[in-house]
Amino acid sequence: MQRPVYSLDLSPGLRLKLVRAGFRFTADLLDLQPAQLNAEAGLSQQEALEVLQSVRSERGGDEGGSLTALELLQKEEEDLRNIVTFCSQLDSILGGGLPVGKTTEICGAPGVGKTQLCLQLAVDVQVPQCFGGVGGQVIYIDTEGGFMLQRVVDIAAAAVRHCSLLVEDDEQRVAMETFTMETILSNMFLVRCHDYVELLAELHLLPDFLSEHPSVRLLVIDSVAFPFRRHFDELSQRTRLLNGLAQQLITMATSREIAVVITNQMTTQLRGSQSQLVPALGENWGHAPTTRLLLYWAGPQRLAAIFKSAGHMDSTVQYQITSEGFRDADQSEQPQRKRPRTHSIQSAASQRDSSC
Amino acid sequence: MDWDQLELNPRITAAVRRAKLKSVREVMCVSGPDLQGLTGLSRSDIQQLLTAVAAACRRHPPVPALLLQRGQCPRLESGLRLSVGCPVLDELLRGGLPVGGVTELSGESGAGKTQLALQLCLSVQYPPQHGGLNSGAVYICTEDSFPIRRLQQLIRDQSRLRSDVPPDLISRLQFSDRVYIEHTADLESLQVCLSRRVPLLLARGLVRLLVVDSVAALFRSEFQAADWLERTKQLLTFSSTLHHLSLEFTTPVLLINQVTDVFDSSDDSLGPMSSNVSPALGLAWANQVTVRLMMRRLQVTVARGDQCSALRRLEVVFAPHLARDGRDAAVWREGVRGVTDCTRIQQSH
Repeated sequence: MQRPVYSLDLSPGLRLKLVRAGFRFTADLLDLQPAQLNAEAGLSQQEALEVLQSVRSERGGDEGGSLTALELLQKEEEDLRNIVTFCSQLDSILGGGLPVGKTTEICGAPGVGKTQLCLQLAVDVQVPQCFGGVGGQVIYIDTEGGFMLQRVVDIAAAAVRHCSLLVEDDEQRVAMETFTMETILSNMFLVRCHDYVELLAELHLLPDFLSEHPSVRLLVIDSVAFPFRRHFDELSQRTRLLNGLAQQLITMATSREIAVVITNQMTTQLRGSQSQLVPALGENWGHAPTTRLLLYWAGPQRLAAIFKSAGHMDSTVQYQITSEGFRDADQSEQPQRKRPRTHSIQSAASQRDSSC
Repeated sequence: MDWDQLELNPRITAAVRRAKLKSVREVMCVSGPDLQGLTGLSRSDIQQLLTAVAAACRRHPPVPALLLQRGQCPRLESGLRLSVGCPVLDELLRGGLPVGGVTELSGESGAGKTQLALQLCLSVQYPPQHGGLNSGAVYICTEDSFPIRRLQQLIRDQSRLRSDVPPDLISRLQFSDRVYIEHTADLESLQVCLSRRVPLLLARGLVRLLVVDSVAALFRSEFQAADWLERTKQLLTFSSTLHHLSLEFTTPVLLINQVTDVFDSSDDSLGPMSSNVSPALGLAWANQVTVRLMMRRLQVTVARGDQCSALRRLEVVFAPHLARDGRDAAVWREGVRGVTDCTRIQQSH
């Protein structure tokens, strides 16, 4: 693939020098020695080295990234499991749970359950593999102050209780010994960010943390909107920072194989004389997440809808928030409340078995 | 900014100084290539610079939640709640107001919002084992004058409300000395108050509760419909200040809000409503609130001895840690109390 030189991540001056010296594509630079580049483009030794490193690292990235679609599909089926929520209907519209390796945005009005779903996922990601979970750790970046330990403990206790009822074989019995309140809390890493600069700083340092903690499978940012919807006199700066942040999140999701979940607020948009609720942070931001999940009220019911996703049909399901966490809504045609949940975890597990 | 504090090669710090970058926060907001352009440093130098700057900007590395539960990170999770002073209402709020975050209490006039706020100004003064925070309160009035007579009455009857607290402890507390009252009539003076006097009181440990009664008065009266954008901007600045104070000093913030009539009942974006009013200031404000409570006055009167009171209902509209629920309450001479079934038997009408 021909990649133009001006698209490399270099300083503008450097790119200009390269283009002036007649280098248009990265392929032109690939076989050069630093000294040659030094002579031909009038770069210093240091600059020449930097350019070549940049070209080679991009190329290295290309090789890693050039998979056939079939290989990619197999890879997704093998390594990247989904994080099974405790709400089977939500799992089914998400295609078996929250996708690892992708970014998902949860939008909704205040109080509809965004933080509840985030806290639920932070527990769900730790469900042991023999129960159909991914058995990973989680980093939770709280910018709104919504991470209430009291509530985390409720949800974790319910998850432990639920899994202990499902134990059927020895493997699961052993797994339950380490799936306790204590381990759930110790596998949940909390960061509180008070403003957008702290959030940017945290994300810059996160790759190092992820290298030290390779079993992290979920990154939650609740929310991105809260710190980014104030303090900005110039919207162009906000757009630039948000674009950079989106890029970082996508890179982290794919290269580290973690699920990235971010929440967003809603805002009122005026279209002529009509006003409607739309996710905040602007049109551009909408391209960042792979999936956008909208939570909203319809009368007394809480509904979840997928409204941007390349892989899923648009669909809507009902859910409820109980003392135990984010759950399927009660359904009159189903006699027992626990059945669908049990079913969800087991069916997800059997699906995985058949694909292996 | 003293760049020498960062662990960096002097060559890099010298380049940063030459580029006239003023603070680590500023560096964090400039993109990598732009930084290269400004400083003339190489890519790897910029990476080093960014890592050092990011480390200086963040308050703490990721902390396992287990340490929070064990109380080893009191700055992140103190485990404290500010009790309302009534077991029934505390049960609804799972112990009381959270110390980190902004709690909004809205309702029609006469619903009992100010009553509850005054009660919290007293209960904050008790030691933590009695649900307080061992400190005073600052009460910012924007509407009416401060109801000083009512506060005096509540103080006189504290022993009646707080029968769980030893009487000698109550008599030792100098309640009225520890309630700081501020009057601000416009937005500008409110900002001055919140940015100068309140941080001073909080930093000295004189207060650990901030009440603003009410937010709607300022933002409703000062802006016409056409100033909608300006109002939103001011609201965000205001809420940002409150969140900052709350987190910085682990202090509960209580905001009293008015309500507006809802004409269009099809607009249910904020969930089902139990009455035909909703908190004022709209969605932009609702996004800023951590815990939203509402108080309603019901058409029932309850009596107790020689006193009678209109029945009220305190409802949780949303909160990260609370279920949507409510409790009946009444306002007595000694304060606001939840009404349980046994009190309601004495209903006179």
